[in-house]
Amino acid sequence: MYEELLEDIAQTNGLREVNTYTKLAAGLGGILLCLLSATCVAPLFIAIALSLALLILARIDVKTYVKIFVAPVIFAVFSVSVIILLAGGETVFWSWQPLSWLSLSFTREGINEGIFVFSRILGGTSALLFIALTTPMTDLFAVMRRARFPEEVLDLAMIIYRTIFLIMSHLVLVYRAQVMRLGYRTIRESVHSYAMLCGAVFIASWESGEDLVRAMESRCYDGKFAVLGEGGPVSLRSAFTVLCFLMISGILVATTRHITFL
Amino acid sequence: MGHIILEARDIRYRYPRGPEAIRGMSFHVRKGEKVSLVGPNGAGKSTLLLMFNGMIRPDSGTILIDNAPMRYDRASLRTIRKRVGFVMQNPDRQIISPTVFQDVAFGPTNLGFSDREVKDAVENALRLVGLSGFDRRPPHQLSGGEKKRVAIAGVLAMDPDILVFDEPTSGLDPSGSEDIMELLDELNQQGKTVIISTHDIELAYPWADRAILLLNGKILQEDVPDVAFGDPELVRKARLSMPTLLELYCELERRGFALPERKPRTVLDMINVMDRAFRNKPCYTEPGSITLFDVDAPSEVDLHAWRASNQEVPIGGMGTRAKQYASDMLISLDFTYGVIDKCILKALLGEDSLILITGSMVKRVHDRVEEFCRENRVTIQVTMLTPASNSGESRP
Repeated sequence: MYEELLEDIAQTNGLREVNTYTKLAAGLGGILLCLLSATCVAPLFIAIALSLALLILARIDVKTYVKIFVAPVIFAVFSVSVIILLAGGETVFWSWQPLSWLSLSFTREGINEGIFVFSRILGGTSALLFIALTTPMTDLFAVMRRARFPEEVLDLAMIIYRTIFLIMSHLVLVYRAQVMRLGYRTIRESVHSYAMLCGAVFIASWESGEDLVRAMESRCYDGKFAVLGEGGPVSLRSAFTVLCFLMISGILVATTRHITFL
Repeated sequence: MGHIILEARDIRYRYPRGPEAIRGMSFHVRKGEKVSLVGPNGAGKSTLLLMFNGMIRPDSGTILIDNAPMRYDRASLRTIRKRVGFVMQNPDRQIISPTVFQDVAFGPTNLGFSDREVKDAVENALRLVGLSGFDRRPPHQLSGGEKKRVAIAGVLAMDPDILVFDEPTSGLDPSGSEDIMELLDELNQQGKTVIISTHDIELAYPWADRAILLLNGKILQEDVPDVAFGDPELVRKARLSMPTLLELYCELERRGFALPERKPRTVLDMINVMDRAFRNKPCYTEPGSITLFDVDAPSEVDLHAWRASNQEVPIGGMGTRAKQYASDMLISLDFTYGVIDKCILKALLGEDSLILITGSMVKRVHDRVEEFCRENRVTIQVTMLTPASNSGESRP
């Protein structure tokens, strides 16, 4: 039940101390270039580069990384196969028309399109995971404040962040107590136990909300929430590395516009 | 002892639709005192504590701070909560921010400190509780003891005069509890008035200046700990147990041994009582000496060299910074709790000892050792570790 959270990995990863903006530039730049690219070359390069950075520089466990990556990939495999089958084209390798309004085919254009979309998903996912696994939420709050996010939204986000972990630990406790007393033995019982779990956690979160107000009151809450100072300054080395990465990706985007796989 | 800083006059409180939780209590606390409220579950301890910083308003009666009745408008409450810091029993309930820095900074920020002042206050508070460098850690990754310290730092950052702790040691392991009690002592030494509620008599007994026994929303007994906990009838009534040392003393007394008037509060006191009763002299050989090393004072002393020439000498740590220093220097401490007493015990056996100490605690060691020596007519040398003594004092 208690799985390792992305946030926990992010808090202890090897790139934790690298300046937040540098990491965001790499991640967001990667996503943007994946979207700009017209072929699969640049997205694949981004996927490989960022994955290697995560595994080697950020020292993320390979097994964990694969496990996290598999979910979006499975989803991608299904959607890409649908795209390949449904997309029409001129060079047809194989086709089948089971119904009058439905024709399935393998065409050169379709397969190219499928590979392109798949590579974009890989690139985008690794860029997103790069941000998620190297930049903990707590650092992003500081960036959000800098980016003039509304105070109310941000304060709420911070309280929610803290509360999630409290509620989750409570959830784990109640769940364990139920399992110990064979709460999930049959389907019927599972439904019943699950409902009880929800109820218990709801009440607990209600109570912890009241405690929260009390805790804030007793420390003179006056509508202000402290922000974490930003981390270390931008280091030349990491900034240069990110710049190189973005430039190579950019050049790939520009030069590989007409290359196709098939 | 200072002036009266906090006073309750016949306060009563009833929870909505509940029983009367506080049924007429009057007492006072003086500046610089260490008071522990002791009583069974449901005695009204927590309710009472919540009144000290205005979280609960008594139905009748008055609470006075510095002889001024507490007022419950917004501005007054702010002032009160700055002066009276409250640390809840469950640190998870008190820590509200996603990182340690933000949580400790919560109070100062809301008090309108500038960024610079907030940063200083946080750094200072974290140093006091021994969590320097934890700024960016999220609270859910900390251990129970560390969370407790974060909660305490959050209150200390507001620099209150009175510190109120609800069950400061609940849920902590014995060594964690001792560390927290030691920290409370250190804070008290710096001039804070400390009020705690607890079930743990063994911890409260040697620690407190005064104990208040509560039962069913009333004060059962209020006195120095050896009197408050010394009456078996009262202790039983309050569903507590007598501290082991006190019980032992009573049993010895019943068996007709001539015991000193002052009841023992620590193992040192007890050993002393027994030595007096059975041998009538406190010391077995020529007493050993206690050496102090002030970790705050800039010094030329090479501690490692000293240790190399005095390998057998046990080392104690007093004060959070001293313990931090020890762990930074990879020195394993032999005592971290009740250090002075343990070193005196060693000295009585003719052994030397070293205490790594935070500057503010030095006077306390001198006072305690002097008091002991005067009472027992022995001489125990307390010296500071200086470069000169570094080479000269290496005794066999």
